[in-house]
Amino acid sequence: MNQHRRRFVAGFLAVPVTLYTVYVLSPCAQALVIALTDWRGVNAVPRFVGADNFRRLLGDEVFLRAAGHNLLLLALVPPLTIGLALLFAWLLTGDGAAGRTGGGAVRGAGFYRVVFFFPQVLAVVLVAVLFRQILRPDRSGMLNGPLTALGFEPVGPLAETRLALWAVLFVLVWQAVGFYVVLFSAAIVSIPRELFEAAAIDGARGGRLFLRITLPLLRDTVQAGWVYLGVAALDVFAVVWVMTAEQGGPDHSTTVMAAEVYRNAFHYSRFGYACAMGVVLFALTTGFAVLVLRLTRRERIEFR
Amino acid sequence: MSAARARLTALLSHAVLLWWTLLVTVPIAWTFLASVKSEREIFGDAWSPPATIRLDNWARAWQQAHVGRYMLNSVVVVACGTAGTMLFGAMAAYVLARYRFRGSRIVHALFVAGLALPVYLVLTPLFFVVRNTGALPLVGPFIGLNTHGGLILVYIAFSLPFTVFFLTAFFGTLPETVAEAAFVDGASHTRVFFQIMLPMARPGVVSVTVFNVLGQWNQYQLPLVLLPSDRDSWLLTQGIADISTTAGYDADWGALFAALGMAIIPMIVVHALLQGQIRRGLTAGAFK
Amino acid sequence: MTVTVRHERVIVNSPSLPSGWRAGRRTGWRGVSRRELLRGALAGLGPLALSSCAFPVGGAPPTSTAGAPRLDEDGPLEIWIFDGGLGDDYARTIHEPLVAARFPRLRISHNATKEISRTLQPRFVGGDPPEVVDDSGAGAMDLGALVQDGQLTDLTPLYDAPSWDDPSVTVRETVDPMAIELGGYGGRPYVMNYTNTVWGIWYSRPLFEARGWRPPRTWARFLDLCEEIRRSGMAPFTYAGTHPQYIYEPILTLAAKIGGRRVLTDIDNLAEGAWQAEPVRRAAAAFAEIGARHLLEGTAGLDHVQTQIAQNRGLVAMLPCGSWLENEQRGSAPDGFGYAMFPLPDFGPSDAMPYGTLHAQPGEEYIVPARSANPGAGLEYLRAMLSRRAAGRFTEAVSTLTVVRGAADGLRLEPGLESARAALAAAGGNVVTFMFRRWYSELHDEVAAASGQLMSGAISADRWAERAQRKADALRADPSVRKFTR
Repeated sequence: MNQHRRRFVAGFLAVPVTLYTVYVLSPCAQALVIALTDWRGVNAVPRFVGADNFRRLLGDEVFLRAAGHNLLLLALVPPLTIGLALLFAWLLTGDGAAGRTGGGAVRGAGFYRVVFFFPQVLAVVLVAVLFRQILRPDRSGMLNGPLTALGFEPVGPLAETRLALWAVLFVLVWQAVGFYVVLFSAAIVSIPRELFEAAAIDGARGGRLFLRITLPLLRDTVQAGWVYLGVAALDVFAVVWVMTAEQGGPDHSTTVMAAEVYRNAFHYSRFGYACAMGVVLFALTTGFAVLVLRLTRRERIEFR
Repeated sequence: MSAARARLTALLSHAVLLWWTLLVTVPIAWTFLASVKSEREIFGDAWSPPATIRLDNWARAWQQAHVGRYMLNSVVVVACGTAGTMLFGAMAAYVLARYRFRGSRIVHALFVAGLALPVYLVLTPLFFVVRNTGALPLVGPFIGLNTHGGLILVYIAFSLPFTVFFLTAFFGTLPETVAEAAFVDGASHTRVFFQIMLPMARPGVVSVTVFNVLGQWNQYQLPLVLLPSDRDSWLLTQGIADISTTAGYDADWGALFAALGMAIIPMIVVHALLQGQIRRGLTAGAFK
Repeated sequence: MTVTVRHERVIVNSPSLPSGWRAGRRTGWRGVSRRELLRGALAGLGPLALSSCAFPVGGAPPTSTAGAPRLDEDGPLEIWIFDGGLGDDYARTIHEPLVAARFPRLRISHNATKEISRTLQPRFVGGDPPEVVDDSGAGAMDLGALVQDGQLTDLTPLYDAPSWDDPSVTVRETVDPMAIELGGYGGRPYVMNYTNTVWGIWYSRPLFEARGWRPPRTWARFLDLCEEIRRSGMAPFTYAGTHPQYIYEPILTLAAKIGGRRVLTDIDNLAEGAWQAEPVRRAAAAFAEIGARHLLEGTAGLDHVQTQIAQNRGLVAMLPCGSWLENEQRGSAPDGFGYAMFPLPDFGPSDAMPYGTLHAQPGEEYIVPARSANPGAGLEYLRAMLSRRAAGRFTEAVSTLTVVRGAADGLRLEPGLESARAALAAAGGNVVTFMFRRWYSELHDEVAAASGQLMSGAISADRWAERAQRKADALRADPSVRKFTR
């Protein structure tokens, strides 16, 4: 039996662990080594430069700005997305009773859910290409056409260093909300109906019912979503790279760490330096994930 | 009184929901409008209707932009990638959740650490790895650079952390009685997994599948690096990004919008057809 | 034991692979095999795990190839063309058939992409590059880095070879010497510039004639003209706002006109204070004024296509661009648009260079990767391109001048190209150029970003110069960046 068991465990782990080791862990370990060299991406032998790349990062204004943008997105994307999604999910499912029967708290709930989910299936690149056209700063842009027709000055969010990052934020939230609406709706529907009924007998309804019953019971789902959105906010690339002027501009005003990694690696051939950036990005993401997961664990203990 | 209040609430709800509906649909609708305009009209007033409906934009996009082929490639890669991810992810998660053995904590921790791993950190070494696997005997031609096989393996590997993390938690919550009964009846470990535990975990598996399908569908960076030169094997995201640069040089904006539209329609149709399933899957799973 | 065998396999398959690849791979294998738990199961998956370490840690540096590469007439000739403003048809219809006719057994494969670096950088990294690359466009590879790493074939044998048309002269004698010089790194030619591009301010000649506007000869007249155009309800000036390199080009050309060639060579050589020299700052301030008063609405957010179409539609009168413009706008510009260009006006009486001074630059950079399977075929392909016949047909096909002397003689050119050629002829020796864009992409990016801010009024000319100077200083101080001088 014991022999059997051991073979079973090894057999089940063999493929996933091998794939993971080959494609994720080993490149990751190599990246850590490359980060300590001045490798320029072609097969000349890299020179070991110790922590030089990291020292240099501290003085790299563009990278620091990129990191700042990532942190801003980390701070804003999850709460905005989850806040909007919770609001919509609540409006769509009410106390959960209606949603279960397939209808919804409002008429057309099914329609809304389908439409809200659209941006999620469009692929980020497509969304980025789309919004580059929508936000055009002249009157041929979707946004500016009506604005200028009404006599307003045209706005060019992507051309203004102060506005461009907000445009990126908007697009990220725009794309993500629908998924979480569906996720939270599902979670609300799966809450036992008796809980709502008991609370309703106590006189709670509407917003208070949501805050006292629904939200606490959604906590696990919300936290999972928060981790996912947070990691996504730290990993933003396609939207910035495809949508913004100067690929992270204008004047570095929207650049993010992933874009700087890519730029330094594939435009400047500074693979060592780019890997050092990647290491910092990794440290930040890990730090964030560990933080949130710690919180999650604590909640679990409280519940049981 | 109460009825009037309910109506007011419903009205407000609809107002909020309609606001977001417009935010979502108007840009998409505008894309379709632009896709049947002439170039001159595209560079004219944003919302004016076209003088004549230019379906030739769509014809050009279909011929030049190969949207159909890119989409098929994407479907194949994401389908295989997700299927592999779920199979291997569930296997690993099950073992890690249900069996005690030396090193299990370390393996689990390594998978979880990958959750925070940015693809950008590993891009360059990963390229080498895939290139080298292409030189292996027998399997090489199927998993090297410019092959969908190689990309699928990479997708699986990069989706494992999330999958293992959530499924481990999920397997941990499943009741043990059924499995124990099966062991008493002499069922093998493998059998118990495939015939008892995996079906029981279905809600969790479905939720994670949805996440993985969306994640892999949206992937842009990996195909860019791993399918560099063979245009015929490109995925939709590469194709779209290329079309947008193509429009930059050839100034064929009508075709760009038509290609965007062409990529949007099947997505919306598929989603409309499957949305019930997605929702049911998420309802049952809901990340307990 | 299998480990070693597989290494040999890999190396045999790719002859260009340096020996340094082995060391790292074994480390990866050991790391995996230690995992006691998986020892048994891994036996079957071993080969996959073997491939997992690929970064060339340690080992000997690649040996440089000596002498001219031989042409393998039965070998491959893989060609990658940048599919930009010139398209890629010219290679398929003009150059490739020429080579195929002379070497019928060569296996020629034609490829095109808009993103050279994204597509081919991995192949260079992997030691499996194609034979010929047209390294151009926004996504071009960093040639400096490629040269530094010994990735490019020295083109000296090409220029010393007899010309394709007339064996009594060498290729060198048929080509514009500046083109060869500019393709040089550390005194050796590694890059073949094929086209000759002229920059200027572009306008519609029929439109200007109809309105009674004339290309200005002095900066004061230029500002007057802008005022006049604006009063007529048209925007005077624009540039590709999302690609601000389109505006630093005229700024630098004007700086050279004010202060002489030295201004640009100092910049290229990363000389101290080169960007903060008086002529550079004055030129930047002059264009900042244009930016503040005469730009097309929304310029900062429009790209080159959008601004060029705006000009075709009569929304804006002038834009700075290179002589590829007319060809690029073929199909978009209305019939009879009548492209023409004028050189930058005199800035003041003390200008170091006379009226008519032009920025002209050999471009469309072709390289022969040294680690390709058949670099000799690559050289032969370039030799065919530099034949008179090939160059003349190229100019006809894509309305672009080449570096082959006299190849465009007797051709009927489109009005815009004719205007560029006339301007180039009138400039005589007063042609300036700069190289830092090619040599130091980081400096290019920083100057471009700062120039966008300068034009939108966010920063002053002094601040602009300071930013560029700081980047140049950082590069000068960075030992990992190879320096070039001219």
